[in-house]
Order: sequence, then C-alpha cells, then structure tokens
Amino acid sequence: MSNISRRSFVGASAAVAAAVAAGLAGCNNPSGGGDDTQSSGGVVEITIPSYKTGENVGAVFFEPQVERFNEKYADKYHITLESVPQDGFNDRLKQLAQQKQLPVLVQGGDIDWQTNIAFPQGLAYDISGWLNEHPEVKDLVLDDALAYCTNDDGTIYSMPLPTVRPTGYYWNTALWDPWVDLSTLSMDELLAEIGDQKIAFSTAENGWVCGLFLTALVAAEEGGADWLRGGVEEKIVDFNQSAFISAVTTLQQLLQNNAASNSVGATYADAENAFLSSQAAIISNGPWMSSSLADTNSENWSNGFDGANVHAALWPGQMGIANTSSLGEWWISAAASDAEKQLAEDFLAFVYSPEEIEAFLLAEGGDAPKLTYTDSFKEEQAKTQTLADLSADTTAETEFVPCILDMIPASVANSDFGRELPQLANGTYTPEQFAQALTEAAKEASLT
Amino acid sequence: MKSVVSSLKERRSRSTSLERNNYKWVYLFLLPTLVVFVMFYAAPIIQVFLTSFTTWNGFTDPVFSGLQNYVNLVNSRGFLLAMQNLLYWSLLATFVHVGFGVLVAFVLFQKPHGWKLARAVFMIPNVISAAAWAMIYRFFFNNDFGVLNAVIRFVIPDFTVQWFYESPWAFWAVAFTWMFYAVIVTLVVLGDLMNIPAELAEAARIDGASGWRLIRDIQLPLCRSSIGTSVIVSVTARIAMYEQIALTTAGGPGNDTMSLSIMLVNGIMDYRYGYANAIGVVMFIIGLVVLALINRAFRMDESDL
Repeated sequence: MSNISRRSFVGASAAVAAAVAAGLAGCNNPSGGGDDTQSSGGVVEITIPSYKTGENVGAVFFEPQVERFNEKYADKYHITLESVPQDGFNDRLKQLAQQKQLPVLVQGGDIDWQTNIAFPQGLAYDISGWLNEHPEVKDLVLDDALAYCTNDDGTIYSMPLPTVRPTGYYWNTALWDPWVDLSTLSMDELLAEIGDQKIAFSTAENGWVCGLFLTALVAAEEGGADWLRGGVEEKIVDFNQSAFISAVTTLQQLLQNNAASNSVGATYADAENAFLSSQAAIISNGPWMSSSLADTNSENWSNGFDGANVHAALWPGQMGIANTSSLGEWWISAAASDAEKQLAEDFLAFVYSPEEIEAFLLAEGGDAPKLTYTDSFKEEQAKTQTLADLSADTTAETEFVPCILDMIPASVANSDFGRELPQLANGTYTPEQFAQALTEAAKEASLT
Repeated sequence: MKSVVSSLKERRSRSTSLERNNYKWVYLFLLPTLVVFVMFYAAPIIQVFLTSFTTWNGFTDPVFSGLQNYVNLVNSRGFLLAMQNLLYWSLLATFVHVGFGVLVAFVLFQKPHGWKLARAVFMIPNVISAAAWAMIYRFFFNNDFGVLNAVIRFVIPDFTVQWFYESPWAFWAVAFTWMFYAVIVTLVVLGDLMNIPAELAEAARIDGASGWRLIRDIQLPLCRSSIGTSVIVSVTARIAMYEQIALTTAGGPGNDTMSLSIMLVNGIMDYRYGYANAIGVVMFIIGLVVLALINRAFRMDESDL
C-alpha cells in the first residue's frame, strides 16, 4: 500500500471510527428528539403517542374519535397519533418524561409512576380550574373518580373518568336458561341455581377469570366488599380473613365441580373459547365481551354457539366489579404552551361530550351513571342484548367493588395468584393454605 | 532476570516514531469498542452491583440498605426451590442435554446414509424461539387435546395429568421444552471431531483399537474442550432461563418450577429494583462460579494436540 493510499485508508477509517463513537454517544442525547408541536397557518398541531392505534382493539373507536376532533377543529387544531405498542407504552412515556419531551396530552401511563413521580414532580398541569369552569364536563365524571383524582390541596392532574365498565357474568341460554329473575337472587341462591352447569375459568397468566369470580364471591361475604375497597388506599397483604377464606372455599368447589375441562392452565383466551364453543354455560367478564358475541365474530363460534342466546347480568346484590376510585385516561403536560393547553382542554371537552361518551359506550360497552341518555342511544344499545342487560342492572343503587387482582401487590396478582390456583383446584391446598400462601407472597412483595 | 515492566519499557523506547504514531490510531480504532463496552456492558453491570445494596423503586434515588436485599432473597419462599431447580436442571443439561448432543455428533461423524439431512432436520428446532417452543409444549402437554395424553389414553383410557400444573410433573415438563434441542452441542463437538488428524485414528487402528476404544480413548478426550464449552453454554442458559418457565408454569404450581429469573421479574413488577438487582448479582456470581468449575473440570486451558 502506498503512503498516500495508506494515509487515505487510515483517515477514512478514523472518520468512520469517530462517526461510530459520536453516533453511540449521541444515542443518549436528550436533545436528540424533536418538538412534537408545530404551528401551521394558525393551526396548532401536536403528536401524541398512543397504543390505541393500528391493530389494537382500542383503535377501533379511538382513531375515528381523533379524526372527528380534527374535523371539528380543522381550522384550529390537528392531532396526529404516534403508534406505540401497548406492551412498551408505559416505558415510552417514562422515557419521554426523562427527556423532558412529554406529549401535550398524555394517555395515562403506569399508575405508580403517575402518582409517585410524574404528578409530585410537577410534570402534569392542574386541570381543577378548567374543570370548575366547565360544569358540563365536571358534572359527568364519577364522584368516586373525582374524589380520588383530587389532591389534598385541591389540584387535579388526571382527568377523572365519566364511565364505568362493570364486570358481571354471561350465560348461554342454550345451555342454561334459568326460569327465575337472577337479579333477585343472593349469591348462594345463584350458585344453587347454577347447579352443575359448566363455568369457564382461567388459571394461567394472572388467572383473571378466576379473579373476577373470586371478587364476586368475596364481595358477597359479610364485610368482603369493604375489605376489597380497602386495597385502593393500601394494597391487601393479609388474606387470612374469614370473608376471603369462605369465598375461596366456594371457588375451590366450583373449580372442582363446575370448571370447564380446560380451566386449569387456561388463559383468558382459552376461557373465552370454552364459552364460545358451548363447553361452558357461564363466564365472568366485562361489557367488552359483547364484541365477541356479535355476528361479526361468528367465525370464532363452534358447537352450535350463537351469540344471540347470551344474556348478561351484574352479580347478586346489584354488584358490579369495577374500580371507580382510579386515575383517568388523560392528563396534560405542565410543559405545554398556552395554545397547546387550550388544544388539550378542548380535546378533553370533546371526548367528554355526551355524544362522544354515548358513542364510546355503544362501541366498547359500559355505563355513564351521570349522563342522561338520548332515546337514540337507548335504541342502539338495546340492539346489543348483553349491553342492554348490563345497562339495565347498572342503576344508582349499583355497588361497585374493585377486582381483587387490582388490590394486591402486582407480583402476587400477576404471578403468585395464577401459580397457586392449580394447587387449590386439585386439592393440594386447603382454602386456608391458599390464603396463607398468598399472604406470605404479598408480605414478601411489600418489603422495600 | 529483568522484570517484565523494564523489558516493556526497553522495547517501547526502541519502537520507531512510526510505530509510536500508530498507537494513536490503535487507540482511536479501539474507541468505538470501548464506548460500546462501557455503555452497554460495564456500566449496567456496575449499576446492578451498586443498586443491589440499595432500596430503589426505579423512580426515586436509591437509598443504601446494606445486605438487606440479599437477606430478603435468601429468606424468600422461592429462593431455595429456585436454587434446587437450578441444580437439577443444570445436572440434566450437563448429562442429558449435552450427552444427547454429543451422541448425535458421534453418530453424524460416522456419516451414515442421510446424515446431512439428519443434521439439517436436527437444526430446525434451533431456529424456533424459546417462547414459541414453550407455546408448542403447552399444546403438547395439554390434558384435553395434547398429543402426549392422547397417546397415553390409547393404553389407559382414563388417564388425566395436567403436566404443567401438577407436582412433580411440572419440573419435568419444563425440562422437556429444552432438554433434547442440542444442535449447538452437536455442531461444536462435530467440528472438533472433524479436526482430529486422520493419522491419530489410523495409528490407533494399527495398534488394534476397536471402534469403541477409538471413541473412548482418542475421540472423546480430544473433544474435551468442545464438550466443556457445551456444558458451560448449557448450564449458563439454565441460569438465565426465563421464557420456557414464564410461558408455561410461571414458576408453579406453587413454587415447583421457580427460578431466579422469574423471581427477578416479579421483583421488578413490585418496583423492587434493588431486590431484583440483588437477584441479578446472584445469577451473575453463579454464572462465574459455574464457568470456573467447568473450566477446571474440563481443563479448558490445556491443549491435547
């Protein structure tokens, strides 16, 4: 190699090496991102990351909703959605916060992160003043949600929810058609009525369907509902409670005598499949299941299952499983400019308008207890049998209890609970031993 | 005797200006590697070590807590079972997984009819992710419609076992998701076998060595390094094993198939990052100890040729 060519080679190599090093160093450059807000011809444009995009089930309603907003405010605002996979969404928000690049409108995020980091560190804009100036919005939000989102000093960072989507139970009348009004029965009477009918359960993943049924059983016990609600303020770590053990005793009997054959080891999808293939007559689930019962989903039905045969109800005592004391879906970044905050507030007002709330309920189910429904909404809702059933059961007297899986430490809910359920189902554990195992796991999980 | 340092200094002083000039370029070319090493390897490991001695929720500043995380770990319900499982899975990896891979390598080395096709087929499972295998095995071991129970029911009509959800079967069911996929072992050992000089085998045959003695006294000893490497890879994979457990038993039933990796992820779920990192440190140390033991057992730093 000649001197010149060697020098050129060395120089080029050095440039490449320097570029790689600089590139790597630049990976962590907090100013590497760009401003997500632009102003074009007087139109304020923002980009917000969202997991309710593309193939995500939430996109079916959310993407058209954003388009409706863009159309309504075509001369003022434009929102562009940045698609983020749901699994990594919370981490993406934390990353943006660390880079001081939070979007103007933040679609929730990790609850612990919001309450322990984002809000105390001043990343969120106080919307209490705006809410007070807009009683038409404030009057629609749930009382429990408003109380939960209101801080001691009166500030409100997370927009309280206006809707509740209570979980009840569904039954296939082709397999089980009770001749009594189920809403009048107590839990014991309901279980007696169920008899030896098959129930779809799941124990894998986090044993969610079992968790729903167990929540209903606990809430039906004396003091059980209050015990569950206590977990909102402080996670439950002691399961050696009579209400819980009694409920677990019933759950064990159901798992041993009524569970669909695939229940042990079943995921949520397996449990739903057992119901949609007529292998189980009953399943506990929320209003979102109505989409699985629509004719458009008939390709997933088998063994003569017909979604039109399915009815739904809340649990005995007009009890619905839902956590109304929770953070809402939206908050606004404190770093947003005045124009951006105005956009964000107008977006929230749009989403919380009666028309949009009714559209949401028709698309995804649930109830807005403080909204007076229009006749057209009632007519539309009545076309979906299960939504109409659940809505009829949701009244001012309805009691909401949070799902037990939301009230216990995350690792116990997502790992220990599902791991211990097979032991309960096959009789290796007594209900007391099951409660003790969860107690030990929860106490370990609560250590700092 | 001159010291090493003084001889290096002497050598350095003898180096030409061109050579000295080249050092700059050497260090410059090393820079990207060093940056990558520090950013993606050294820094995270150091952070894991340091924060394992703290109470840290991942959000706020870590607070020094001494050995508390390690004490909590040792006292936890799952730790002893996780260590016991690791020991048993490591033994299975060493004797069954590696043993099977070595056996297949020796069979393929004989170049029987169709050996190339067999090698390719044996390779196929390796291009399927561990997570996908875990899902496949969930179906395979399913009590309702799984292949295994369907076959058994030909003989015992009432047979019912939830392989992943009953003791003691869950441990073995998890082990089956990886135990016989040993193509890496086979390829490494086969490479060593093919590098053995033909003269050695020829000389042994002239001396009257039979097929079995040839394997036992010539080929197996000469594959010592590759077998040792395979054992290291297999056992360290057991230390880090996560998907196969998380997607099948999640460590259950009870804690029957608990592992340190599952405990680590559970710690993160509860925002116990200090505790999770303590588990990471324990896994790291176990890996180093395993590495040292196997290096020593297989005399990996010695050559036979």
